Amino acid sequence: MFKFDSIFTRFIALSLVIGLVSFGITVVSSVGINASAQEKKKIAVVTDVGGRGDLSFNDMGFKGADEAAEEFGVELQVAQPASEADYLPNVRTLARTGDYEVIIGVGFLLTDAIETAAKQFPDQNFALIDAVVDQPNVLNFVFKEQESSALVGALAAMTAAHYDYSKVGIVLGIEIPPLWKFEAGYRFGIKWGLDYYEKVTGEKANVDLLWTYTGTFSDVAKGKSSANAQISQGAGLIYNVAGPLGLGILEAVKDNLNQRGKESGPPFMIGVDANQDYMGNGNKVLASGMKRIDRASYIAVKRAVEGNFKGGTEVLGLDDQGVGLSRYSLLVDFMQFGLKGDQIKEENIETIKENWLEMREEIPQFIWTGVNELENLIVSGNVTPPVPSTEEEMKDVRKEYP
Amino acid sequence: MLTRIYEQVKPILDSFLAGLIGLAMGAIIMAIWGYAPLDAYDALFTAIFGSFYGFSSTLARATPLILTGLTFAIGVRGGIFNIGAEGQVFMGALAAISVSLLSLPSGIHVLVAIIAGAMAGAIWSLPPSFLKITRGVHEVISTIMLNWVALYFGMYAVVEWLGDPQRAEKSISAATTSRLPIMVSGTSLTYALFVSLAFSLLIFFLLWRTTLGFELRVVGQNPAAANYAGIKENYSINSTFILGGLAAGVAGALQIIGHPPTYALYSDLSTVRNLGFDGIGVALIGRNHPIGVIFAAVFFAGLNVGARTMQITAGVPLEMVRIIQGVIIIALAAPELIELTNQLLPAVRNWINEVKTS
Repeated sequence: MFKFDSIFTRFIALSLVIGLVSFGITVVSSVGINASAQEKKKIAVVTDVGGRGDLSFNDMGFKGADEAAEEFGVELQVAQPASEADYLPNVRTLARTGDYEVIIGVGFLLTDAIETAAKQFPDQNFALIDAVVDQPNVLNFVFKEQESSALVGALAAMTAAHYDYSKVGIVLGIEIPPLWKFEAGYRFGIKWGLDYYEKVTGEKANVDLLWTYTGTFSDVAKGKSSANAQISQGAGLIYNVAGPLGLGILEAVKDNLNQRGKESGPPFMIGVDANQDYMGNGNKVLASGMKRIDRASYIAVKRAVEGNFKGGTEVLGLDDQGVGLSRYSLLVDFMQFGLKGDQIKEENIETIKENWLEMREEIPQFIWTGVNELENLIVSGNVTPPVPSTEEEMKDVRKEYP
Repeated sequence: MLTRIYEQVKPILDSFLAGLIGLAMGAIIMAIWGYAPLDAYDALFTAIFGSFYGFSSTLARATPLILTGLTFAIGVRGGIFNIGAEGQVFMGALAAISVSLLSLPSGIHVLVAIIAGAMAGAIWSLPPSFLKITRGVHEVISTIMLNWVALYFGMYAVVEWLGDPQRAEKSISAATTSRLPIMVSGTSLTYALFVSLAFSLLIFFLLWRTTLGFELRVVGQNPAAANYAGIKENYSINSTFILGGLAAGVAGALQIIGHPPTYALYSDLSTVRNLGFDGIGVALIGRNHPIGVIFAAVFFAGLNVGARTMQITAGVPLEMVRIIQGVIIIALAAPELIELTNQLLPAVRNWINEVKTS
């Protein structure tokens, strides 16, 4: 006969033995666990495939939850997936225990997983960062990226005018509605910055916008070629709205500086989402339009621990530090991530700090005052950057702020 | 009599011993890095057998692995070292998404998606088959290279043609009419499991109950004898490739139409990646037998599911969990691996010599 019998019995035997062993271990260990009653509350962070060490979304989500966990004395559990197929099982496994005050999904990639799990476990609190799921037990966090982009736009326009550049640039990823917020805010900020520049200096600066949708969030080479094209057309600053393509933009900036035998910009890159100021030795990225994932996960934990957690959508803006321009203290925090991720070396940290401070001091004070003024105007509600949600509205924004 | 019993029991003992060695090595590694091995293994086994939910999740994960395991197993039976399942899975998945653009009644749509996936996988197995038969290109080389072609083609297709206009990170989802229903609510287990099992039984029947299967196995065991007996070797090799491609293609399709919650591909194809390579491990543990593959896939899937709980309840980080898994799998696959290497080495040597002399 064929070998069916032997293999069949072998596996039955094997699984029986494994089953018995595991049963034994379970009994022994469950006795042990029950003996020590757990009192500490628990929270969980579910990362996307980037996982810990991505120096961006996931590290920030962890940072906020970690700070909150320490502050409120709760235990933090991180679940990292091996692939996107693990998102839902990770969330479910955590939710099934019923031990967690809140389960935080970091990043829009977890949207479907959080939605499915939220329906299945209506009594479990979930938080979802950077996407929206319409469930009563999910607290969503989204960001007013148009506000940080407006600050960045004003800074870019005024800096370009100061250094006699005729253009500012923006390199974006795939043209999807979420990216319009960045583009619209940037355009709005440029106009505002140029008006302010004229008001302060008395001279009218001509700075135009160069914008490129690369159609990719992963092809670093396209970031470089787009940035090269913009620099050769006279762009002095380039806003990276394409994630990892920033590495390519930075390369283009470095090439241009090398050709002219210079160390520090302009041209400058402007970072996005995370604090990318330390990249390129601290004097090539003037600022970053930050999205504070850490604030969102902190708020989620705080609400859950304090017992006033409610589903809904929080839109974090400049007023609650959900978005903003990169500052010195955040630079220091992010260099710690960079250190852990082997992106920068310990001995370079001091140089980066010095370079960064020097770079920022080179920019005249009135420009920073202008950026602060725009921030105050936005926070107080006197000025509102546009938020286009349809293609028509985006076209109107492009006409109004060319 | 005693020796007969011993021969029956020996493979069981082999596998059991191998499993124990793997577990012990894993425990030592964990202990060295300061994690608690007992807690971790407790978490692992309770995850698989401790609850209905856990076992359902294990079966859900096993579903595609059964099929990719079959691809490799059929290959070995037919005398080829087919590691092209990876790329064939991608093609199957792409085909299943593409046909969801059609509007069809639900039962038929499911069938169309599965057939499309199977066809796409089979078509992707033709180039290595053709290259082997006509030019003598070794299938290890051609399938590995075609896996990369399929990967980048897949990424391109997801972004350029099948992209979700609202969500840049993924493709469009399979049409609701082409989805397989969830079998146990609250888990990811769908009726895809039965498709997978049925396919496995079909292959079993084909290999041991039909002329084609017999010829295929003879070519696999002894090409010279097959030739002497008048079996068309090329026809048999081609069939081996196609059968493998069909299995892998179905695996890809099932990962789309039977895989909640997204029923879609991500732009880096990560939900279908490594299924083909894991299939090699599954086939080796399952001793390249269609029925053995089913059990091996369940075990393999159990390790995957257990990885989650090892991380979440025992606090062992994902990276360490994967090291442990690797050690256990290598140990379990070792017996078959040794046998296979012994079979394969002379063939590879011959092939290298041929290349050198030509």
